[in-house]
Amino acid sequence: MTSEVSEPGSPSVLEISQLRVAYEGRTVVDGVSFRIQRGEIFGLLGPNGAGKTSTLSAIEGLVRPASGSLLVDGLDVEQQPLAVKALLKVQLQSSSFQDELSIQEIARLYAGLYGVKLSREQVRGNTRPVGLGDELGKKFKQLSGGQQQRLALYIATIHNPLLLLLDEPTAGLDPQSRRGLWRHIEELRAEGNSILLTTHSMEEAQAVCDRVAIIDHGKLLTEGRPSELINKHKDGPRVLSVAHGAPTLEDVFIGLTGSEIRD
Amino acid sequence: MTNTGVNTARPPLGLALRSLLRADFLVLLNGKTSVFLSILLPVVILVANTFGKGQSRLGGSSLVIGLALTLGLLTSGLFGYTLALAHDRDVGVLQRLRVTPAPTWMIMTSRVLVQVATNLVASVIVVIVGALAYGLSLNPGQYLLVIAVSVLGAAAFLAIGQAVVGLVQSTSAINAVTRVLMILLLLLGLLGGTGILGDTMKSIAAWSPVGALMTLFADTLNASSWSGQDTTALLACIGYVAVCATIGVRWFRWNSR
Ligand SMILES: Nc1ncnc2c1ncn2[C@@H]1O[C@H](COP(=O)(O)OP(=O)(O)OP(=O)(O)O)[C@@H](O)[C@H]1O
Ligand SMILES: [Mg+2]
Repeated sequence: MTSEVSEPGSPSVLEISQLRVAYEGRTVVDGVSFRIQRGEIFGLLGPNGAGKTSTLSAIEGLVRPASGSLLVDGLDVEQQPLAVKALLKVQLQSSSFQDELSIQEIARLYAGLYGVKLSREQVRGNTRPVGLGDELGKKFKQLSGGQQQRLALYIATIHNPLLLLLDEPTAGLDPQSRRGLWRHIEELRAEGNSILLTTHSMEEAQAVCDRVAIIDHGKLLTEGRPSELINKHKDGPRVLSVAHGAPTLEDVFIGLTGSEIRD
Repeated sequence: MTNTGVNTARPPLGLALRSLLRADFLVLLNGKTSVFLSILLPVVILVANTFGKGQSRLGGSSLVIGLALTLGLLTSGLFGYTLALAHDRDVGVLQRLRVTPAPTWMIMTSRVLVQVATNLVASVIVVIVGALAYGLSLNPGQYLLVIAVSVLGAAAFLAIGQAVVGLVQSTSAINAVTRVLMILLLLLGLLGGTGILGDTMKSIAAWSPVGALMTLFADTLNASSWSGQDTTALLACIGYVAVCATIGVRWFRWNSR
């Protein structure tokens, strides 16, 4: 189920084929395939426990796939892990920075890990747009949940990544920060970066993503532009039964994945 | 293929290592626990022992200083290093570092190097305070030997801590295990070494990490010539480092789930 938008000769930024991830023998990602092109925002959607984070973890090298292949800019994730990691920028769904480090110190640590030298002034300038410019001396443990999330997002974009992986980036953000984040993501796309993100906000996915994929129980159900997906599925009986008026991406999502709450 | 502003080169390892070392050092410094455990606690023991009859009860100034040095290494290794590692694994600090292009060995090595360096500085301070408090005069060779034994001791306790984090997954269990381990090691090294628990315990104590280190420190401070007991102690320490570090690295998991 790959879309054919690639320009000939240019490798996809990300190419996943037949990915399978299992934890202790239980398969949670089952034969997922998709591609992401340069300058594309791709949304991975699915109910809780669908396998979104597990898919990202395989790309990030945090879990080893049971089978399938993962190529980032033509490089195999398993064979060249460090070279691949240098192309990625990552914000994890649940992760943390060292409690005892200040924003300033965290920024300089992660910049250094990606080979970027940042002066104090640069950190101050860069963190102003995310509203952290005046908190640079604060330790990570002293930040509010939303500030921690904003710091994680700022760290994820310190250098110019080829592929940015964002796992529920808007969770816990206030409306102002969320707007700011989407603006920033669109700027990154304009510069030629690609973004793979997960979100539970179907309105945001519909508004921002160039393409989306819906997965459930580890299987990819459908993939395409939001408008294509709505067109393709709008006459399905389950979609019709949940839609009020013109079907939205959320109606398609619920139509395809059912309305029961996941455990 | 990939150009226009996107950074595709592998970042230099030197800069990555420097950044990690700096951050790990700042964590120790800002956290204060490690500094307290490795310097203040041993100094308090030294000073407290100059009052009253503590000195003779524990068996001479070199033993007291040896105990203070060993305790500093033991507590900062088992509590400082081990608990911080377990905590960072639990909350996802390690996962976050692991998705960067820094090799995993570098992430671990940086933490260990910073801890060992702190221990060395602490040991030198403790020895100087000890020598002053008890009127010992040590020659430069003895200071060098104290530093060498401190490296060995730090390595042994860090390896033991690493093995705990490698074998035990849950952070609260690690908390409990390190506490019990700490008491056991101290009791064995101190009480076993005195002989009041019997001869078997005494020879076990000589091979225990605390007992072995105290022997090495005391003999260094006394400037006594190399004995069979020192060989036992040295072999024991090397054994702990080799076995525990292997276990700790082999079974280490980066996430807590
Ligand atoms: N480390 C792990 N060990 C065992 N099982 C895991 C692990 N991580 C995830 N799982 C299981 O794998 C399945 C997929 O989890 P995953 O985190 O990928 O879901 P998700 O789509 O990101 O969900 P959410 O929207 O809640 O973040 C779930 O059933 C989860 O319980
Ligand atoms: Mg998730």
